[in-house]
Amino acid sequence: MSRIGCLLPEAPSLPPPGALLQVALAHSPRVEEASTCVYLDAAGLEGLFGDEPTLAERLRAAALAEGFSIRVGVAGSRLAALVAARLGAGVAIVEPDGDAAALAPAPLSLLPISEELATRLERWGLRTMGELAALPTTGLFERAGAEGVRAQRLARGDDPRPLSAWRPGPVFEESVECEWGLEALGPLMERLGAMAERLCARLAARGLAADGFEWTCRLADGRAHEGALTPAVPLTESGAVTALLRLALEGRPPRGIVRAIVLRVRPTRAAAAQESFTDPSRPSPRFLEATMNRLVALVGPDRVGAPTLLDSHRPDAVGLGAYAPLSLRRGTSAPPRRGSTSPHRGEGRVRGPVLALRRFRPPAPAAVTVASGRPVALRSSRLGGRIVAGVGPWRVSGEWWTPHPWLQDEWDVELADGTLCRLAHDGSAWLLAGVYD
Amino acid sequence: MGIPIESSPPPGWEREGIDGLLGLFPPGRLSEVVGSRSSGASSLLLALIARITTAGGQVAFVDATDSLDPDSAAAAGADLSALLWVRCGGRLRVALGAADLLARCPGFALVVLDLDDLGPVPASTCIRLQRAVEDTDTILILRVARHREGSPASLVLTTRRLGPQWMGLRPLTRLAGLRSEIAITRVRISTLSSPGRGQGEGHWAVEWSLQDVPSGAGCAGDRRGA
Repeated sequence: MSRIGCLLPEAPSLPPPGALLQVALAHSPRVEEASTCVYLDAAGLEGLFGDEPTLAERLRAAALAEGFSIRVGVAGSRLAALVAARLGAGVAIVEPDGDAAALAPAPLSLLPISEELATRLERWGLRTMGELAALPTTGLFERAGAEGVRAQRLARGDDPRPLSAWRPGPVFEESVECEWGLEALGPLMERLGAMAERLCARLAARGLAADGFEWTCRLADGRAHEGALTPAVPLTESGAVTALLRLALEGRPPRGIVRAIVLRVRPTRAAAAQESFTDPSRPSPRFLEATMNRLVALVGPDRVGAPTLLDSHRPDAVGLGAYAPLSLRRGTSAPPRRGSTSPHRGEGRVRGPVLALRRFRPPAPAAVTVASGRPVALRSSRLGGRIVAGVGPWRVSGEWWTPHPWLQDEWDVELADGTLCRLAHDGSAWLLAGVYD
Repeated sequence: MGIPIESSPPPGWEREGIDGLLGLFPPGRLSEVVGSRSSGASSLLLALIARITTAGGQVAFVDATDSLDPDSAAAAGADLSALLWVRCGGRLRVALGAADLLARCPGFALVVLDLDDLGPVPASTCIRLQRAVEDTDTILILRVARHREGSPASLVLTTRRLGPQWMGLRPLTRLAGLRSEIAITRVRISTLSSPGRGQGEGHWAVEWSLQDVPSGAGCAGDRRGA
């Protein structure tokens, strides 16, 4: 007969990450980590810790010693143990074969079921697990399918799934001792490259990818040079890892002779993605990551990215967002960017030939001659000449409700040499906003 | 019996829109778009970017003079999230370096180096860029104001302004668009020919229309005269 213990953190003293698991592992070899609690296999622990109430009190005391408090429930199934812990007063023990009775008054909201089934059960007027357990199984299957029957079995304290035992993850770390010391970056990178290759091979063998790197170089004078980097996408290729490490170390090299190197990798589950033959190619994460790093070093971090249209009518209200081609897949839409375009400035719809504006950033100051209220000549550092045609003014304004309102009159004009440009007058000066091209 | 009257284009002009024109840019080669101010060269590039990004391709735009208007790109139909915009702030060497990096990053369907009147670009740099995209599917386009002799570009398109289009009689009421002519001035690829014409003889007349993109105005969403 299985006996499951549930360790449920009690507010307000929530445990630090991993602490609850450690408390459970100190008492049972089989432990399952859930999203809000930890289950342990309580069967066969009498010889070590005494009966179940004693075990529960011991678990609470161990948690208190770690600085947080928990509720403990022990029952024959996970759900009954969770309900006992949640509804009980500190320690709640459900007698063997008493799970159904213990679950009967519990609300249906504690059942791990889909939103659709929960809504359906609510429409049927069901409120407690006891009411669900009392329904005829055949009729429930006809109306709610297999999920309904599974929910009913859980409500009756019949949980067929065994504990999914927690196992410690493998440690991905490589270290090298350098007897003679490494003074130059080249030999150091050779060692790091070899270590990265071994680590990537171990990651790939487990279907994992590197989500972060940390390295420590022990220097000859006893100091330590430490560094870390997080790639934009999880990596499995040693070449890309080595390139990133090289870039990072070139930017901040160790100040001394390196005697030992330790390279640690933070693993993550590599997302499996099936590319389609019909999809257009997109940059490989490996190359793109390195290219983006070099671009940022070349032009500056605030000058590279995907353009975004800000939610404003102010002229040239654009920003630069993160460029993430991996989120672009046919049939799926990328999540909307914050402050991104509003629908009327919609993009992605192919239209007829559209006249483009080339902007001057910042707008160039201009000297404009006005006759009869219309500009007739333009002179600026960018271009100038007689204005042969023009339309305007188009008054644009906004943010008058803020301390920094803006207003300007725009003109579209044609110069004598045929250049089409946009002028703006902000009330005090003329500006050359751009050229139509 | 009346004779049907229809306006016919001037000799040498194609009337099938710009779709055929946009399909001319060869992958794995350097192409050049040459045009002075208000000649329609930027509009041509935005049309190409819109065509590629809506098909799911990724585009890198090296903006040497910080002059790209994302509003215009969105109005042309470009998917801005598939566009990598590199602003170089008028620095020629930085722009050339950025274009070199992007040309060597496989996976971009189109890499545009928009220099406008910045330059001149050394021929050796153009050759280096050309070599970087060889044997790839990347279209590499150099947009300049003036063509430079010795360029290794496989395709050179020249845009020329025909004139603006205004709405309304005198007084004019608004700018409707721009008419420009695009001509193939050099083709160095044996498999490429302009539709229906011999190599080097293709001409297109394109009317670029000014979209009513509200560039302003909480109080005036449309561009009306004040």
